[in-house]
Amino acid sequence: MEIIISNSSDIPIYEQIKEQIKVKIVSNELKENELLPSIRTLAKDLRCSVITTKNAYEELVKEGYVKNVPSKGFYVAKINKDVAIEEQLSKIQQLIDKAIAIAKMNNIDKKNLSEMLNILYEEEK
Amino acid sequence: MENILEIKNLCKKYDNFELKNVSFTLPKGMIMGFIGENGAGKTTTIKAILDIIKSYSGEIKIFGLDNRKDDEKIKEDIGVVLDDMFFPEILTPNDINNTMQGIYKNWDTKMFNDYLKEFSLLPNKQIKTFSKGMRKKLEIATAISHHPKLLILDEPTSGLDPVARAEVIQIFQNFIEKDDCSIILSSHITADLEHIADYITFINNGEIVLSKITNELLDKYGIVKCTEKEFKDINKKDYVKYKKSKYEYEVLIPNKKEFKTKYNISIIDKITLDDLMVLMIKGEE
Amino acid sequence: MIGFIKKDLAMIKSNFKLLAVLIVVYAIMGLMDKMDISFILPFMCVMIMISSFSYENYNKWDAYSISLPNGRKNSVKSKYITTILMTLIVSIITIILSFIISYVNTQTINYEKILVTMFGTIFGTLLVLTIMYPIIYKFGVEKARIGIFLLVFGIVIIGSLLANFVNLSSILKSLAFLEDYLIIILIIVAIIMVYGSYKISEKIFNKKEF
Repeated sequence: MEIIISNSSDIPIYEQIKEQIKVKIVSNELKENELLPSIRTLAKDLRCSVITTKNAYEELVKEGYVKNVPSKGFYVAKINKDVAIEEQLSKIQQLIDKAIAIAKMNNIDKKNLSEMLNILYEEEK
Repeated sequence: MENILEIKNLCKKYDNFELKNVSFTLPKGMIMGFIGENGAGKTTTIKAILDIIKSYSGEIKIFGLDNRKDDEKIKEDIGVVLDDMFFPEILTPNDINNTMQGIYKNWDTKMFNDYLKEFSLLPNKQIKTFSKGMRKKLEIATAISHHPKLLILDEPTSGLDPVARAEVIQIFQNFIEKDDCSIILSSHITADLEHIADYITFINNGEIVLSKITNELLDKYGIVKCTEKEFKDINKKDYVKYKKSKYEYEVLIPNKKEFKTKYNISIIDKITLDDLMVLMIKGEE
Repeated sequence: MIGFIKKDLAMIKSNFKLLAVLIVVYAIMGLMDKMDISFILPFMCVMIMISSFSYENYNKWDAYSISLPNGRKNSVKSKYITTILMTLIVSIITIILSFIISYVNTQTINYEKILVTMFGTIFGTLLVLTIMYPIIYKFGVEKARIGIFLLVFGIVIIGSLLANFVNLSSILKSLAFLEDYLIIILIIVAIIMVYGSYKISEKIFNKKEF
């Protein structure tokens, strides 16, 4: 499992860990009922504090991606893929909303905007 | 959460230095970074915890027990690395092993020997033949081979080069991965602590300036860089300290998010523990 | 407790070679009937114990030992136990050598002289050490060193002068009324001396700030 942390990012480290594990769960890289590394092991391997990994796991539990089996560890929970993807879509929608707002403010038309989206989408590949 | 270490109103007076009402707590399973300048009171506090200095006032509880009344019981479960204090250097790692077998009930000879191998320390060589880094590793192996529940480490990385420092920190992280151990680790090299410490306690001139969860500190606090005119507009309640330099004002703020909603100053930098220390010590209120 | 004694013994084991050399020198000198240097072994014993203190001071062992379970109590206690052990070992060696030397030189065994040597050895060593330890615990080896040096030399020289010029047997005779109890008296005095010194050192160590 790869988790890449940036220390200079403005996003708190626990959130970076949380988001990356989430992506791995949604993309099925981490499968249902798979045992995740313990809080301490993850902290050691990522060279971060125990509280950081603990926070990340706690949030994942709260959001339903991970379940905590006391005295055994953290397992990937059964997730509703649709709900998970829905959540990601709503995030995308929020960002596009922002883009549209900026476009409208500057009189950039729809055609221009969707062209830009097309080009960027292809480039990312 | 259960507290491993509780210090309340610790005071100690010397001719030229004083600990003033030092109080903080270390919850179970956590690593606390204890930072401050040289001479700020880190070692004195640690010596008081271990009862190495006498005649201090205040209350120190370890594992919920009084550090003086239950001295013997507590020390079975404490491991220490102290700055400059150790076994006489004409002894060998083997001598240390023999000695510790007769001192700690839980002394683990196999574990100690495994560490000697891992750190490439020859068991029959006198300590004085070891380099500074090797000596520190030996001190660490000695401190953890009885499976302590609390590690008290005074400047365990001082005088080491960056590679050796990273190794030492890694040893502690490996150790707490297996043993459920809490750590208080003092250092004036804050970069070592920024990542691995769950809590940061900052002591300056014998007084605790702050004791907080590291993430909250690093995520919430920030440094605003601005002009004199902009600085004049900032309410005193919204910053902790500031420093004026030739070209700019550096202002330490306790809450980045809140600050952004109130003011329209664009440069808010992330903070490092070093910045925090410097501004806290050198900055004006 | 056992751990602390093991440490103290480990500290002095590096001196065993030197001790062995001195035993040989002592034996040869004695056998050649040149000079009675029976004081050399106790003198060495004192020096070894002092040097172990100075190594400990250098690495601040005393402060470190307090971080160990029962450190404050056992640090001092083990020092005294090791000292008594060392004194006994050195005394036994001296006695055995005295027997041999006495037998080889005169074909007889002078029990009285040997008994005096034995008690002289034990007493002298314990006296010096018991006076020194509280001083060392109070001031540290470095500061206490000069005082100690004078003390050791004084006692050793006076002791050997007494042994060489004063007719010890006449003194013993004048104390003849005590003769039956002499050994018991000496043992009691030694115990009181060591115990008193131990209590003082313990008190000093307990109050000490590091």
